[in-house]
Amino acid sequence: MTMKSLLSTVSLALLLGGAATAAQAQIPIGHLADYSGGTSEVGTPYGQGIADTFAWVNKSGGVGGKQLAVDTNDYGYQVPRAIALYKKWSGADKVAAIMGWGTADTEALTGFVAQDKIPYFSASYAAALTDPEGASGKAKPAPYNFFYGPSYSDAMRALLIWAAEDWKAKGKPGKPKFVHMGANHPYPNAPKAAGEALATELGFEVLPPLVFALAPGDYSAQCLSLKSSGANYAYLGNTSGSNISVLKACKTAGVDVQFLGNVWGMDENAAKTAGDAADGVIFPLRTAVIWGGNAPGMKTVMEISKISDPSGKVYRPVHYIAAVCSALYVKEALDWAAKNGGATGENVAKGFYQKKDWVPAGMEGVCNPSTWTEKDHRGTLKVDIYRSKISGPTDGDLNDLMAKGTIKLEKVKTVDLPRKPEWLGW
Amino acid sequence: MASPSLIPAGDFRTSYAADTTIFPTTTSRNAAIVGIILIGFAPQLFTEYWLSILIQIGIFAIAALGLNILVGFTGQISIGHAAFFLFGAFTSAYISNNSPIPVFFAIPLAGVVTAMVGLIFGVPAARLKGLYLVIATLAAQYILLDFFSRADWFSGGSVPASANPFSIFGYTFRGDRQYFYVVLAYLVVSFLLVTNLMRTRDGRALVAIRDHYLSAEIMGINLTKYRTLSFGLAAFFAGIAGALYAHYQLVVSNEGFGIERSIIFLAMIIIGGTGSIMGTLMGTAFVVLLPESMEWISASLKGGAIDKALSLNTNISFLREIAIGLIIIAFLMFEPDGLAHRWRQIKTYWKLYPFSH
Repeated sequence: MTMKSLLSTVSLALLLGGAATAAQAQIPIGHLADYSGGTSEVGTPYGQGIADTFAWVNKSGGVGGKQLAVDTNDYGYQVPRAIALYKKWSGADKVAAIMGWGTADTEALTGFVAQDKIPYFSASYAAALTDPEGASGKAKPAPYNFFYGPSYSDAMRALLIWAAEDWKAKGKPGKPKFVHMGANHPYPNAPKAAGEALATELGFEVLPPLVFALAPGDYSAQCLSLKSSGANYAYLGNTSGSNISVLKACKTAGVDVQFLGNVWGMDENAAKTAGDAADGVIFPLRTAVIWGGNAPGMKTVMEISKISDPSGKVYRPVHYIAAVCSALYVKEALDWAAKNGGATGENVAKGFYQKKDWVPAGMEGVCNPSTWTEKDHRGTLKVDIYRSKISGPTDGDLNDLMAKGTIKLEKVKTVDLPRKPEWLGW
Repeated sequence: MASPSLIPAGDFRTSYAADTTIFPTTTSRNAAIVGIILIGFAPQLFTEYWLSILIQIGIFAIAALGLNILVGFTGQISIGHAAFFLFGAFTSAYISNNSPIPVFFAIPLAGVVTAMVGLIFGVPAARLKGLYLVIATLAAQYILLDFFSRADWFSGGSVPASANPFSIFGYTFRGDRQYFYVVLAYLVVSFLLVTNLMRTRDGRALVAIRDHYLSAEIMGINLTKYRTLSFGLAAFFAGIAGALYAHYQLVVSNEGFGIERSIIFLAMIIIGGTGSIMGTLMGTAFVVLLPESMEWISASLKGGAIDKALSLNTNISFLREIAIGLIIIAFLMFEPDGLAHRWRQIKTYWKLYPFSH
């Protein structure tokens, strides 16, 4: 053996050994993102937010001295791919937590994560995920499912409460008509029954639901049905991509209806794309402020954003900030677990129960205070309702449009829902 | 079409048995047996990731085999194969959830039920040819998929249905390492069944229809019967594969089994070689491994110079989809007879090495 090959062998061995020790000191985290599927227009900023936050956590020292090994995967909003990835994450090198995405895959995995004791922090806010013990009898027990923000059902309830008041305030005669719109898919369907029940209670006439796909398309037919049905309030259950198509088609068809967007149904990007068609859409916001808002925690968000945008010029929509909050809740649960017996899934889940009205450190005024308990995974019941206002052409840079106020998200109302036991898991 | 009808000079058989033999030499038969035994050690040797890929290859190969009976051997076409696959998955989950029948029997039963549905769709399809047939099978795809998204009692509607793990005599197979053997057993049995089917009177009738349906009819082959049968067989294997998939994933969702999955099944047999049983397995392996290898490439590109230069960021996943499309086009252009043909050429080359002309 020559000197050179001997040296290279030794250095290779050292390298491998080094890599092995580095791998031991890491906490594996699974991250499911939709960058290419039906919900990619909101999945991309959210996924980027998760990835940036964990990278930032690693840069600032990791969790309990260990780095997070985040395995980010684009699953294209397809359940089978999510399940394949889950098999990988629950295998030999079991992850301490999973950052999930859609409703269909999260609900499909609920039983598995409970069995494998892996906390699953989803971007699906389906109410079925909020009942850890299955005590309500309305959903299967979901002891390891968590999410940040009001559930889809609670957000829809708040929107309906606003709509009922709006109808009264306008002094219009008769019963207001309400319609649920969305794809025939677990995600838009999740709050349907709960919302329609409350709508009836509040004195709405509930019309048969209108179906439109999760992908952008031509939804003129749906708008014509909407027009002829005479609906006054229409809930858009899909994500912003297909909602934009509906808003535009309905604007063209001249439909006079108040749209109520889902939490994923409207954001700054969607308002820019839809232009004046998005004017007046009512939707819930999960964070206390939007990008550039006046809050002490915004500084941290800006720092995290620099991970993938060193120039600091990119405008981050609401989903990015919600992702930062979500990832930091998981980070702090990991912190607690690391100090109390190690970052295993079981300990991380317990970490979520340690605080009341919890805001992650450095995020004051950005994330809404949340509380999770062993019996109730409804982190918050406070729903901030916003209205998008578009006062001109929406061409050009989003930063300028927001700064000039061409696109404005203005707060309409805050609804504090009561923590009713009969609303748990539904 | 990679049909072995053009027998080279000097290669003649003196008996029907020699003509229909599966393995031309003892060595090739022993090699196949040793290969199966060796692959039986895979759960002990491979990581879970590779095992899951092997299982996927096994399951999809069974479905592709069914499609190859229809397309490669009978000369029909179907772009509704994924719907039958999904039908098998939902049926097996439904049977094992709602009846005392254990999963062990639910899987073949799901195959039979799917075959019935295949026969129903095969009845009009057997009377159609070419483009009309394509549209008829496309209709099957959409009818079935729509049925799954509405029939809450059967498929859970839009919510994914759950399926029980595979169990036999009270013993439950848990995890990929155990389930691998279930898939391997089904794969071997399915491939033996179809190989033998092609050696029978019925199999030859199917090939005759493919090669020249008019001549076949003149020879007394009942075209409608065999075309319908072919649809039934294709659906049977799709159903078996779907059922295996259901009890592997433990969750059945109607996502990911649209028209694009049906086309991927077609891609498997085109890449592998239409009308080749061995090629089906090779084509499936290729198609399953392709997105995975693209994943490795895009993962290694991430954060690199190319990523930065083109500012791909999160769009890097689209690179994967583009590459898959390009490779399939390249395959159709440069290797239209499929991997089975290439494999035969490699064998011939080494047989004569180093004296090939």
